[in-house]
Formats: sequence, C-alpha cells, structure tokens
Amino acid sequence: MTVGAASLARARQAGRLRSLVARRPVVLLAGGLAILLVTLVAGVVAGTVAVPPGETLAILAHRLLGLDVPRTWSTAEETIVMELRLPRVLTAMTVGVGLAVAGTTFQGLLRNPLADPYVLGTASGAALGAAVAVLLPVRALILEFGLLHALAFLGALGAVLLVYKLSRVGGHGQMTSLLLTGYAVGSLLAAGLAMAMYASGAGLRQIFAYLLGGFEAASWVRFATALPLVLGASILIGLRARSLNGLLLGEEAAAHLGVDVRRERAILLTLASLATAAAVAVSGLIGFVGLVAPHVVRLMVGPNARLVLPLAAILGASLMAGADLAARLLGEIPVGVVTAVIGAPFFLALLRSSRVGYEL
Amino acid sequence: MIRLEGVTVLYRDRPALRDVDLQIDAGERVALVGPNGAGKSTLLRAMAGLVEPAVGTVWLGGAPLAYLDRLAIARRLAVVPEVAVLPFATTVDEVIALGRLPHEHPVRGMRPADRAAVAAAIERVGVGHLMGRDARELSLGERQLVLLAMAVAQASPVLVLDEPTVHLDLRHQVEVMDLLVDLNTRDGTTIIAVLHDLGLAAHFFPRLVVVDGGRIVGDGPPSVALAPDRIRDVFGVDPSLVRLAAGAS
Amino acid sequence: MARLTSSFPAPSTPLGANRRPAAPPLAGRRVILPLLLAVIVACGGGAVVTTAPPSQPVVLPTTNSTAAPTAPPSFPVSLTDDEGTVVEIPAAPQTIVSLTPAATEILFAIGAGPRVVAKVEDLANFPPEASSVPVVATFQGVDVEKIVAAEADLVVSGGAPFGQGPAVEQLRRANIPVLVVAPATLADVLDNIQLIGSATGDGVSAKALADTMTADFDAIRAATAGLDHPKVFYEIDATSKIFTAATGSLLEEMLKIAGADPITTGSATAYDIAIETLVQADPQLILLGDAAYGVTPEQVKARPGWNSISAVKSGNIKAVDDIVITRPGPRLVEGLRTLALAIHPDLVLPPPASPQPSAQG
Repeated sequence: MTVGAASLARARQAGRLRSLVARRPVVLLAGGLAILLVTLVAGVVAGTVAVPPGETLAILAHRLLGLDVPRTWSTAEETIVMELRLPRVLTAMTVGVGLAVAGTTFQGLLRNPLADPYVLGTASGAALGAAVAVLLPVRALILEFGLLHALAFLGALGAVLLVYKLSRVGGHGQMTSLLLTGYAVGSLLAAGLAMAMYASGAGLRQIFAYLLGGFEAASWVRFATALPLVLGASILIGLRARSLNGLLLGEEAAAHLGVDVRRERAILLTLASLATAAAVAVSGLIGFVGLVAPHVVRLMVGPNARLVLPLAAILGASLMAGADLAARLLGEIPVGVVTAVIGAPFFLALLRSSRVGYEL
Repeated sequence: MIRLEGVTVLYRDRPALRDVDLQIDAGERVALVGPNGAGKSTLLRAMAGLVEPAVGTVWLGGAPLAYLDRLAIARRLAVVPEVAVLPFATTVDEVIALGRLPHEHPVRGMRPADRAAVAAAIERVGVGHLMGRDARELSLGERQLVLLAMAVAQASPVLVLDEPTVHLDLRHQVEVMDLLVDLNTRDGTTIIAVLHDLGLAAHFFPRLVVVDGGRIVGDGPPSVALAPDRIRDVFGVDPSLVRLAAGAS
Repeated sequence: MARLTSSFPAPSTPLGANRRPAAPPLAGRRVILPLLLAVIVACGGGAVVTTAPPSQPVVLPTTNSTAAPTAPPSFPVSLTDDEGTVVEIPAAPQTIVSLTPAATEILFAIGAGPRVVAKVEDLANFPPEASSVPVVATFQGVDVEKIVAAEADLVVSGGAPFGQGPAVEQLRRANIPVLVVAPATLADVLDNIQLIGSATGDGVSAKALADTMTADFDAIRAATAGLDHPKVFYEIDATSKIFTAATGSLLEEMLKIAGADPITTGSATAYDIAIETLVQADPQLILLGDAAYGVTPEQVKARPGWNSISAVKSGNIKAVDDIVITRPGPRLVEGLRTLALAIHPDLVLPPPASPQPSAQG
C-alpha cells in the first residue's frame, strides 16, 4: 500500500512539473534553443588547438555574417574554425536531429519505448554498405570516401525496405512483425558484415572506424548533403505528429480516431528511415541519442508528439554536438563510446525514476 | 444512420457474419447480445469500417462506408477502445484529449473549442478526480471510464461500445449505463453497445439485437427479442435463470 | 548499435599490411573505358565525341613520376603519391609532418630531419634525433587541428590503411600538400624514399640513399642466390589467429631475397593461416617476429599441434627484430641482413654500403 501511495505521490509530482511546463512549451523551446546555441559555440571554440574565444567569434562574424572585423587571427586559425570545427559541429547537430526524430517516430510507431532508430535493421544495412564500399576495388581516395557514405546510405534504406517487404503479414500485429523481422534481418546483415570484415584485409580498419562512428569525416559537402534530407524528413514527420499521437492506444484505436493507419505507417516509416539513413551515412553508428532524447523530453512535456518531436530534435542536436566535443577533447575517442557512457547510466536512472516501460 | 445490407464478413475464410441486414436510426439506443463467438464484435467492426464485407454494403450517415476516409468515419462514429497498453507515461487528460484527434487542427493541435469539449467530457463521465494521474497506474475500471470519456470527447453522433462494463463493479456498471442513457436522451447520441449481461441490456436498452452464428436472430424490444424460447435456443440455458426487469428507463 | 561488433574479435593488423591498391589492371581500365565509350558513341551514329581523358594526367602505374634529380631540386613540383593523387608542392617545405614511423626515418635519413615539426608516435623511437619532435598522431588518430595550426607545408601519411583517410582529406581541404605512401614491394620502398626526397627538396641525398640500399639488397640477393632455400615461417602474431606474410607482400619478398622459401597465407587479402595448413607446410625454421611482445621459443614448443613441425622438433626457432624487418624505411637493409643471417647463420655478407645508424631492435 505504501508503495502504491509513494508512486502515486511521484506521479502527482511528475504531473505537476509537467503541467507547469506543458502549459508553456515556448519556454522549453526557447531554453532548448539557447542550449543548442551554447553547444554550437562551445564546439567551435574548443579543440586541441587553443584559439581564443574572442577570435573564434570574430572569425565567425567575419565569414558567416560578412562583418568587417579587424583581422587579428591567422590563416591557420581561420582554417581550423571554418573548415575543421564548424562543419563538424553542424554535422553532429544534424545527425543528432535525425536520430532523435527517428527515434521518437519509431518509438511511437512501434509503441515500444526501447525502440531506437536502428530497430529496423538500418544499422546493419548501413554497416554492410560501408563494408562493401571498402571492399570494392575502386581507387581514388575521394571516390572511396564518397562511395562509403553513399553505400552506407543505400544499405540503410535497403535494409528497411527488405524488412518492410518481408514483414507483410496482413492485418493485426503488423508492428510486432516489423520489429521481429527487423531483428532477424539485422542479424542476417550483421553476419554479412562479419564476412565482409573477414575478407577485407587492410580495409578492416576503415570498416571498424565506420562502425564505431565519428565525425572526423565531416565536411561542408557532406553537411550540405545530409542537412536537407534530415531536416526535410523531420519537418514532414512533425507535420504528421497527429498520427503518432493517435497510435498511442494502438492501431485499432488510432483507426477509430481517424488515422489512416496503413498509409501513415508507411509514410512515417519511410521518413524516419530516410532521416536515419542520412544520419548514419555521414557519421557511422552512434547509439543512445536516438533512444534517450525522446524519453527525456517526454519526462518534461508528456507523449504529445507535437511537442516531443521538435524538442527531441533540439536535445538530440545538443547531445550529439556535446558528445563530439567531449570525444574530441578526450583525445579523439569514438563518439559512440561517449554517448554510451553517458546514455546508458542515464537511461537506467530514467527507468528507475519514472517507470519508463510497459505497464498493463 | 447505420445500415447493413446483405453483409457477409469472412474471417479466415469462415463467415463471421452471414447476410446481415440491420438498420439503426439516429438517436436509437441498441444493445447487441449473443453468445460468445456469435459475431457481435465483428458486427461492430463492420460498422466502424475496420473490416470490409466480402458481400454487401455498410452505410454510415447516408454514405457507403467504402467511400469514407477514416477521418470522415471518425467524425461520424466513435468507438470506445479496449483497455490498451500505453507505451509511455500518459496523463488522463492526455488520453481524453486524444478523442479530439478527428477535430483538432492537423498541425497546430487543440483549439479552445477542443479543450472545452475535453473538459465537458471529463465532467460528463465524472472522471475529474483522476486528472493529472498517469493513466497506466489506474485500475482497470478507472481506465475504462477514461476511455469512455475519450470517446465522449470525440463528440460523434454515434457511440459504439464493445463490452464496456467488463472491468467495472456493479455500481460503476450502472453508472455507465445511466450515462449512456443520458447521452442518448439528452444529446441524441446514437448508442450501440455489445453487452454480455442480458439483465443490464434488457433494463437499459429499448432495442436488443440478438446475434448468433453470424446471423441476426432477434431484433426488437427486450421482451420480444429475448423471449424464453429464444433464450433457450440461442444461449442454451434455462430461460427461468434469466430474470429480466421490465422496461427500460 | 554496438552489439553488431561484439561477436567479432578485434584483429591485429600486421605491420606489413600497408597496401597500395592494385594499380596495373585499373590503369589499363582507365584507358580502355574511355576508348570503349568513344567507340560506342561513334557507333551510335551521333557526333563523334572524344571523351575526356582520365582526370589524372599521369597514367603510370608506379608510384612516383618525377625523374631522380641530379640537378638542384626545383619547385614548384607535381608528384603522384601511392594512391595516384597528384600533389602540388609550391615551394621547398620547411614545416614537415610525418605520419608514419617509416616516413620519419626516411625524412631524417635524407637530411630533412631539422624541418620535421611533428610526427606520429613511434614505439621504437627511431632515430634518436626524432625523439624531441612533438607527437600529433597515434595509432588511434591524427590531430588535424595541431597540424593545421603548425602551418605544415608537407605531410607524409600512410593513408587509409593507417586509419588516416579522413585526416588526409581534411588536411587537403586545408590546402596542405599530403603525400600518401603505401609501399607493397621493395621497389616501392625505394621509390617512396625518392618520392619523399623530391617532395622535400632532398632529391640528391634521397637518390643516393636509394642507390646504396639497392646495392645492399643486390649484394644480399647475390649472396643467398646459390644457397638452399629452407622453408621458413615468419610469425607476425599467434595470440588469436596465426598471422604471417600475405602472398605478394613485402615481407614475402624480403624472405625470398634473404634466401628462404617463405610460407605465406596463400592469399593477398588474408593475413592469417590455418594451423593445419602450417603443419602441412612444415617449415624448417620459425622466425618469431613477435618476440618483442614476449613470445619465446619455449612457448612455441608448448603450443598444441605445433610439435609435429620440423622447426619445432629441431628447435630451429629464432627471435628477430620485427621493427627493422617490417618498417619500409632506410633500415630495411638491416632488416634484410637480420633475416638472411637468421636463415643462413654461416652466411658471410659484405659490410653494408648504406649508412647504418646504430639501430637497436
């Protein structure tokens, strides 16, 4: 009885916090954007080479805003800020947005709080695509690098398509069968990846680097390619937040509430997979952000997708850029390690405090 | 309001409904009764457009169901869903607000009118004391009431319920029945409910449709639809076991 | 997510695994493909279109294209590195960064040492003069920012096989000339030395070094030519799988010149060999390239299934210094000598012509 009363009190408290904040989502939005900005500036100001913050901002002001600022910096510093750090931070943010939005969508679609962007085999597909790119006897360095990202993208999409086609069990339980098929296909592709890694010889290092994930390969070109995909998919998903909300009580209830479940599911799956594939193509496999960001946001504003999607996107961007900064400062350790080290305990704490998970 | 013409629904090649003709006019209050597996739920699903008849047509609000998209159906007909698993912590208000999905602005969400409808539904169903609670922590009965409030918030002219009293204690069962009668008589909402409790059905519903083996075998006021020999044939029990209170309120 | 890789053990990539992508067949393809296109278009009846020539102006499959200079070096110079990228070096580099240990040794050997401002971590720490050079890269990664901040005007990198692919790309985007060296044969090593020499303006000393190294190699080759070539197994590592020389690798070439009949993996892409294959091949001599990591002949004798191998039965297991043997730099001569003497202990070799620094293993 005391346990029940305690959890009741907690729920009431959570509800109070939530209603306090939920009535002013603008506050959260503004706060999130502020954090994002701070993360952006921090990411550009910090690095292994100490460029004074004042100079960094001056460089940004000069190059981005076209302001006529007295030139107190060296060419090397400008190169570091504009060609190395800025595209990297922006790419990290883009990937964070893509993964967080995709994670939110998959969690809502599959009605499973443990779903992450990789749940339908995108990770294995992308990794296999990258491995194939490394194995292909194509010579020039530029092509090889571009090829790796392109094939990773196609591999991710191909995996989802395969999962979708294979899971066409009509009618009920479609989502469950998607989830299970995703696991099966993912395992199959992982086996293919293992074979590719075995046959890769000297290319193994590259494949491994891709698997661990990271933003060393960030460039303006890759950023400009990934951004429209991620942003476009995210906005389109955001416009369909209503369907995600409808699915909260299940597919039948959603249908009764006016959601064309079949169509919305196909559209949302495609968009979320596109966002994931674009993110994964650029950065490799980085986990936890897509899983944790939506949950943190739901703690604050509830499951309403209209609020969760934009806020999770902002949080995902900040998290990813922050993790990349930490990875950089800690000696270029893989970003995936940072997100796991932060994300896993955080997720455990989440599980204990607010009972994220199934309830019947 | 709702019309089924010669509807046959197949479920895995077995006919769950055979050649069903049924008409329910606006403002009626109808209970669907019958033994397990008779096809009552299938009948409901056919009305709600969840299953497509292999033969025959379903009409909703004057239009064939096949011509209506889900949004149009939702605006004409609300279904109280079965108690479902919620994947995330969701407050009672958020669940009830889902009822406004067919009406709210697709992008911007709830408008003041929607919020008012939610508040009205909460008061009507009497779940105000549950506000702010996590819906997953409610008892089954409380959750059922919340889902009922959600369907009421949807404010569609037809309200469909599949065994709405399953998890409720007697007092709440009567309360829900009273509420349905109130919605029907005051707001003119057409009520269609699948009930397993014949006594409840006979007491609160002026019209009973008896379904057995996928066919409608009885349709009319309780005394007619549930005549003793019908009870013996359909339910296979001694009619004297079923004591029907006379008349609906 | 991470669970993908959990079942796959991390391999140890052998040092000699730098590989230049196979050039000759693709070079041919570069010519054939445009020709084919031209033929097809011509047959189409439309206007005859001469397809654009391949983007690389140089079609040579080999690594460097400039002639070995006997005159003073002239800049700007245009060089083709081991990946086929044309690298423009506008002026004699004064701020050089070396991202492979072999490149560090080469740079110091040809006289560019004083101009090397940053290097990759070298566990063997050679040459001693390089120990004061700050480290900007390890096996884990390259600190591109530091290299850019140092305003480097030449970087020598090992490329993708060293995990330096992204770094090379970033440096090139920052307009820093980067030469990627990935030698696959002995001739490649000599070419690398001259390539780097041309890049730093030390072409003369580079050619001199290469010439003397060639002479030394030839001397060893001549000395071992008439001898019996025993079956030799060079063990790179045997902690998980058994790693040895891949077919067509630099290591295999060196073992042959050193007068051995080397056991290889049988494939150019695989670095491991099955124990059964090894037992059947039955080497007469086992060279422990992993001796520096604590592997002793006693340990080898104790390995299950190895006791049927002739080398184990006769106790013919020797430790060798893997660094000088596998590092594609100026000390390769010493490496080859070490191999030759390990394989033919009674061999008498003329003293080396190339300057042999006091090298330790």
